[in-house]
Amino acid sequence: MTVPALDPFVEFIRSTRMSQVFRDEVGWLWPLCESVHFLGLILLIGAAGFFDLRLLGFLKGVPLRSAKKFVPWAMVGFAMNLLTGLIFFISQPQQYATNLAMWLKVLFLLVAGINAMLFETSFSDRLMTLEPGADTPLSAKVIGAVSLLSWFAVLYFGRMLPYLDPNPRSGV
Amino acid sequence: MQFFAWLQETPFAQWVASDPSLLAYPTILTLHTVGMAIVVGTCVVMDLRLLGIAGDVPLAALARAPRLVWTGFFINAATGIALFTTDAEHKATQTVFFVKLSLIFLALVVYARLRTLVFRGTPPGVASVSGEVKALAVLSLVLWAGATVAGRLMAYLI
Repeated sequence: MTVPALDPFVEFIRSTRMSQVFRDEVGWLWPLCESVHFLGLILLIGAAGFFDLRLLGFLKGVPLRSAKKFVPWAMVGFAMNLLTGLIFFISQPQQYATNLAMWLKVLFLLVAGINAMLFETSFSDRLMTLEPGADTPLSAKVIGAVSLLSWFAVLYFGRMLPYLDPNPRSGV
Repeated sequence: MQFFAWLQETPFAQWVASDPSLLAYPTILTLHTVGMAIVVGTCVVMDLRLLGIAGDVPLAALARAPRLVWTGFFINAATGIALFTTDAEHKATQTVFFVKLSLIFLALVVYARLRTLVFRGTPPGVASVSGEVKALAVLSLVLWAGATVAGRLMAYLI
């Protein structure tokens, strides 16, 4: 299941100086980035998950406006993971570019991102006026569920990446 | 050591380690990461709140955190044991594995102490967060981060 069209792209990335340095000259970079990637995922899922649970109608004693104050921390976690994820990709593009799990991960990242944008542009203002203790409308529950499920799908396809890869490869 | 050698040879350990099914090692490892996100994510959100982040979130809301923490902990104890059996002889001698277990133990002790300090006595949400609670919240963040990094480094350190 290789995608031949991507091979020149993979070769190009691997041939860049940055890719060579990341891959061959800084041995501790990969384990460091793996560690940061896991800390980022905890921050992202912990902080976004709290807000999603409130959207789903749990934690009714928490005003939505207050729960939303955790969202910037989810964005910090996302930024940590985007940066370290790019370093993984630049170092070993062949592990990702033709890997179906990688593209499913990207798909769910897009679902989570579009869902969050939809929330911000069309629902956020109205929901922020909810009385503390009030249940959330169905629209909020759907957005919370989509968010929570898509972040766990991102985690799932990320962690399953080495095992869903149709190309033989080494490393974890 | 004989015990670990035996453990590693049990049919269960062999199945986890080398069955080609995605439900064996890959899914167990992924569930271990899901459990981590639940346990540590919940504790981190609680610690941030105790340190004043989203300060208007009522502390009472955190009273239900233990359900999530123990659900995640159970998932990770079960999947962790399964993963351990696949490489028991090696992991039993791996320093970073014992560092990870010690950090998890300490983080849970701090979590239990925080629960006592924050939720016993005055009604939650009324008492202000004391200096001791803040110090323990920082310690909790450090211990969980350390446990996470130690776990990740098990794949890289001998």
